[in-house]
Amino acid sequence: MNKLTIWGIVITIAMLGFTWMAVGGSKGGMGADIVNQLAVAGAVVLVIVTVFVVIKYVRQMQNDTASGQLADENWDGIGEYTNELPFGWAVTFLLSMIWGMWYFMIGYPVNAYSQIGEYNEAVQAHDARFSAQYADITGDRLIAMGESVFLAECKVCHGLQADGIDGKAADLNVRLEEKTVKHVVLNGSGSLGYAAPMPDRNGLFNMNTNNLITDAEIATVSKYVANGMKGDGADTFAGTCAACHGADGKGMAFVAPNVAEYTPELVKLVLDHGKKGAIGVMPAFDRLNDKQKEAAGAYISSLSK
Amino acid sequence: MENRPLEYDYTVAKMFMFSTIILGIVGMLVGVILAFQLAFPGLNLMLGEGLAEYTAFGRLRPLHTDAVIFGFTLSGIFATWYYVGQRVLKVSMAESGFLMFIGKLHFWLYLVGVAAVVVSLLLGITTSKEYAEFEWPIDIAIVIVWVLWGLGIFGLIGIRREQSLYISIWYYIATFLGVAMLYVFNNMEIPTYFASGGIGAWYHSVSMYSGTNDALVQWWYGHNAVAFVFTVPIVAMIYYFLPKESGQAVYSYKLSLLSFWGLMFVYLWAGGHHLLFSTVPDWLQTMGSVFSIVLILPSWGSAINMLLTMKGEWQQVASSPLIKFMILASTFYMFSTLEGPIQAIKSVNALAHFTDWIVGHVHDGVLGWVGFMIMASLFHMAPRVFKREIYSKSLMTTQFWIQTLGVVLYFTSMWIAGITQGMMWRAHDEFGNLAYSFIDTVTVLHPYYTIRAVGGLLYLVGFFMFAYNIYKTMSARRIEENELQTASPMAA
Amino acid sequence: MFHWLEKRPFFFAVAVFVTIAFAGLIEILPNFAQASRPTIGTAPYSTLELAGRHVYIKNSCNACHSQLIRPFKAETDRYGHYSLSGEYAYDRPFLWGSKRTGPDLMRVGNYRTTDWHENHMWDPAGVVPGSIMPAYKWTFTNIADVDTAYAEQITIKNAFNVPYNKPIPMKDGSTTTVALADSLSGAHASALEEAKVVAADMKNQNVKDAVANGQIPEIVALIAYMNSLK
Ligand code: HEC
Ligand code: HEC
Ligand code: HEC
Ligand code: HEM
Ligand code: HEM
Ligand SMILES: [Ca+2]
Ligand SMILES: [Ca+2]
Ligand SMILES: [Cu+2]
Repeated sequence: MNKLTIWGIVITIAMLGFTWMAVGGSKGGMGADIVNQLAVAGAVVLVIVTVFVVIKYVRQMQNDTASGQLADENWDGIGEYTNELPFGWAVTFLLSMIWGMWYFMIGYPVNAYSQIGEYNEAVQAHDARFSAQYADITGDRLIAMGESVFLAECKVCHGLQADGIDGKAADLNVRLEEKTVKHVVLNGSGSLGYAAPMPDRNGLFNMNTNNLITDAEIATVSKYVANGMKGDGADTFAGTCAACHGADGKGMAFVAPNVAEYTPELVKLVLDHGKKGAIGVMPAFDRLNDKQKEAAGAYISSLSK
Repeated sequence: MENRPLEYDYTVAKMFMFSTIILGIVGMLVGVILAFQLAFPGLNLMLGEGLAEYTAFGRLRPLHTDAVIFGFTLSGIFATWYYVGQRVLKVSMAESGFLMFIGKLHFWLYLVGVAAVVVSLLLGITTSKEYAEFEWPIDIAIVIVWVLWGLGIFGLIGIRREQSLYISIWYYIATFLGVAMLYVFNNMEIPTYFASGGIGAWYHSVSMYSGTNDALVQWWYGHNAVAFVFTVPIVAMIYYFLPKESGQAVYSYKLSLLSFWGLMFVYLWAGGHHLLFSTVPDWLQTMGSVFSIVLILPSWGSAINMLLTMKGEWQQVASSPLIKFMILASTFYMFSTLEGPIQAIKSVNALAHFTDWIVGHVHDGVLGWVGFMIMASLFHMAPRVFKREIYSKSLMTTQFWIQTLGVVLYFTSMWIAGITQGMMWRAHDEFGNLAYSFIDTVTVLHPYYTIRAVGGLLYLVGFFMFAYNIYKTMSARRIEENELQTASPMAA
Repeated sequence: MFHWLEKRPFFFAVAVFVTIAFAGLIEILPNFAQASRPTIGTAPYSTLELAGRHVYIKNSCNACHSQLIRPFKAETDRYGHYSLSGEYAYDRPFLWGSKRTGPDLMRVGNYRTTDWHENHMWDPAGVVPGSIMPAYKWTFTNIADVDTAYAEQITIKNAFNVPYNKPIPMKDGSTTTVALADSLSGAHASALEEAKVVAADMKNQNVKDAVANGQIPEIVALIAYMNSLK
């Protein structure tokens, strides 16, 4: 075999091997995705065709000699042969034009391709595959799924450790922080879609004292809730909050959320409606489906257990 | 009188040679900075917090693209025009005081335009359209510069002695017409200061087109700006400098002819490949893809014509670094004009678009083809315009290998980065969720960004060697007065 | 015939021009009118949003961020509904971009919020470890150019009939109007009103003070713009 051809093969193998290692070992992976496969095939074709076509011409430089009829004209000493078109080139050009015309006039219209149509099919296929699978995802698998949602969607705000990145978002490892509770008690809250909102301090009546809740009581009850319903403030909670949040703070359906621990129901409400509080604004996540929200809820509930 | 060879006047060509080198250094230096910023973002603050606004990636990126396109490449095109034009038309600039004046005016106004571009881009004055960032006052200056160049081209053609136009001239004419048409239409904008009766910034304007239409016009421009700045005039260069330097006749007139008219016809239809899967109609996107594939042939036609011109001349390729540059340039030209069509296939573009694979494609074209050809052209011109032999052949050979390595590192790393990132964006996990958050697809690229930056740095080092070689050539040993015919004289 | 042309530069140039010119006509014209029609729910930019858009352009955010969601499952999962032509009807210039060094921002207003942007623009890597996006601290002190935004609004209202002060149909059947002030001072006042809403959710004291004093730092306009991307 010619030395050049060997070099060509070596270069080709080196480049493709390098690509294969990098791409094959990459996190994406080819999968069954036709787009991924075609892209890699394209890269392979690119290298092989260029290397070997160039080798063909280099061999002509090495072994052939220039020949042909020179044209009469001459520009600054540059002459021009009247050689015929290289056969392979001419034929390929012609074929590509015929193919192009055929494709545009016949192939494409007959195929009736539409990118939105293709998208709808892809979505249907995806949904069909996973909605069947979703029913079986429960328990630990559900938590694992929730972690996958969290890592793709939530960690940019809540951080990889879900600790809220120094107070930039809610720390999801603890149910509630003191300042959050305090903020809600002072200002009320009403975005989660409960039948009635939580009133602000002017609507919070302490049945033990028969008075509106006081600054001191707010301070202790906030600490009490943030502390996982432990310590001082149990009486204020019982007198003021339990009516809605239940004696144990575990909430009541349709009335008020669980403030003692995270529940998938609460997380789903947050993801449906978003939430604005002492820390900032949490956006709603319309683009997640119900199962993904349920899973995120399961994962977040598992963090503070 | 009759038999004395013409004294060509290279004054303007020399001026543009200088700006090619200076703006090449500026543009590529900024490119290297950008590349390092993506690998090591701390460099966004390289001049401190106080100047961060002017050194951040976003501000510098348009400076890079415009400096290399409108600075380096255009200067190279002008420099070679003012050299090649005279010679293949067999007429000297010295024969017309008018053309000489126009040529110099062309250069100085061009420099003013470049200065205005640099300042305005650093200040963040931009319309955001890629490769058409300039606000209307600079647009006007550019149109004037362009008209001056047109006067120079057609003026010289008007007084030519050589009846029929050489292939390179076809390509220069096409460059002139193509860019003129595209630039004007893509820059239709209304200055808001005047339209609002004197409110706000005087230089600000708003595009005449909106949304999808704006995108369509922009990429009709953007794609063909590539055609008429990075392809057509560079082909003009290779058609002159390769046969001239090697002393070989062009392989086939027919092939030149078909490639030229084929390229002219097909190129303009392919712009849709920048808008695949966007909101422009399906048929238009398909047309872009189909014509991109057909485009391989007229592109390869010119490259093959040049490679065949060197038939039987391997010893020249082996011994002359100048010819090596040109042969590798045609090879990279073939590579990028095959890569482009592959990326234009809709299913491939679904992965490649928006990723670094496109950036890789861009740079195997611009570094391997455009950069190599412009440097080779200047190397060929230098002994003739300065009447000196090239300072160092071995420096040139070293430069060739360093830069080749640079280009290879650049495009292989970007190609892997692009495919990796494209696949990660598309990946779903076993639960049907997205497998990666966006930042995961950024952090994996770090090694490739580093390799690219090193590759770019090598290319820049090579460019400095080129600049030094040309600079030393100006003070090198003088060569005999008689007209140099083929191979350029080089000192060891 | 070609030899003939090659000896006649004028006709040669005409032939080249005709060859390259008509493709443009065929590609651009047929769809021109239809593509500029807005979808229901798409409203023109308010003064502050437009000023923010200018900040976005000034810093070439489009060098790293696209605003075009392609119809792929992975993409709509990540960014939301794929883009529709009419949603860009008021985008002059369009900001689709051609490189996603950072994520798409076409609908970022749906899933990022004012306080997050504030933290992120101040120090991206502090919020998103490993981020390679530059910090944009100067936008917290530079003052936004409301004048130019207002000048642009007047221009597009007059030149392209952009429906300021007119009812715009929304998706739920209601209508909304985007007001355009009738004087420059009016424009400043209404931009400031919008700015106050944004600043209320921010924590940077200098920014809050500036807005309280009637000035609008670039960051406030920029966030107003990003929040409007939905
Ligand atoms: C009238 C009923 C009612 C009373 C009384 C009440 N809450 Fe609430 N609480 C609610 C409702 C409803 C919500 C959900 C608000 C929403 O939609 O954002 C809520 C939400 C909260 C939250 C926010 C939970 C989260 O994760 O976002 C906290 C903390 C809270 N309440 C604490 C208290 C404390 C402490 C008290 C007593 C001092 C109290 N609540 C009294 C009805 C009440
Ligand atoms: C743009 C930033 C951002 C993103 C993205 C985000 N969050 Fe949040 N999230 C916040 C902020 C800020 C808060 C705190 C709101 C407050 O002040 O109470 C929060 C609070 C929460 C809370 C606590 C609510 C409460 O009442 O205690 C939960 C649960 C939550 N987020 C879950 C998620 C999940 C699950 C995701 C991803 C699917 C997510 N978040 C994505 C910013 C974000
Ligand atoms: C060097 C490239 C670069 C530039 C320039 C840049 N960004 Fe980014 N941007 C990124 C990267 C990378 C990310 C993803 C990591 C992160 O979230 O920080 C990002 C993320 C973002 C996000 C979060 C989007 C999301 O969905 O999480 C927003 C919003 C954003 N950038 C806005 C801007 C704005 C506004 C500008 C200009 C003023 C800008 N960026 C300039 C690279 C850049
Ligand atoms: C047959 C010829 C070519 C075809 C069909 C082609 C095709 C393409 C395609 C499909 C893209 C990517 C669009 C996207 O998805 O964003 C692209 C981008 C690009 N190509 Fe080519 N290409 C060709 C030759 C070249 C050459 C020779 C050069 C330069 C020397 C070049 C320079 C560029 C540039 C600068 C871009 C980036 C445009 C942007 O900013 O997005 N191309 N090309
Ligand atoms: C020294 C070598 C160079 C280096 C290191 C370099 C680096 C870069 C970088 C980092 C980018 C931005 C990519 C991104 O946004 O991800 C870029 C873009 C670009 N560069 Fe260069 N560059 C170099 C030389 C050149 C030359 C010589 C040209 C043209 C003649 C050129 C033309 C371009 C173009 C057209 C783009 C825009 C690509 C796009 O938008 O897709 N570069 N370059
Ligand atoms: Ca312009
Ligand atoms: Ca680009
Ligand atoms: Cu193109």
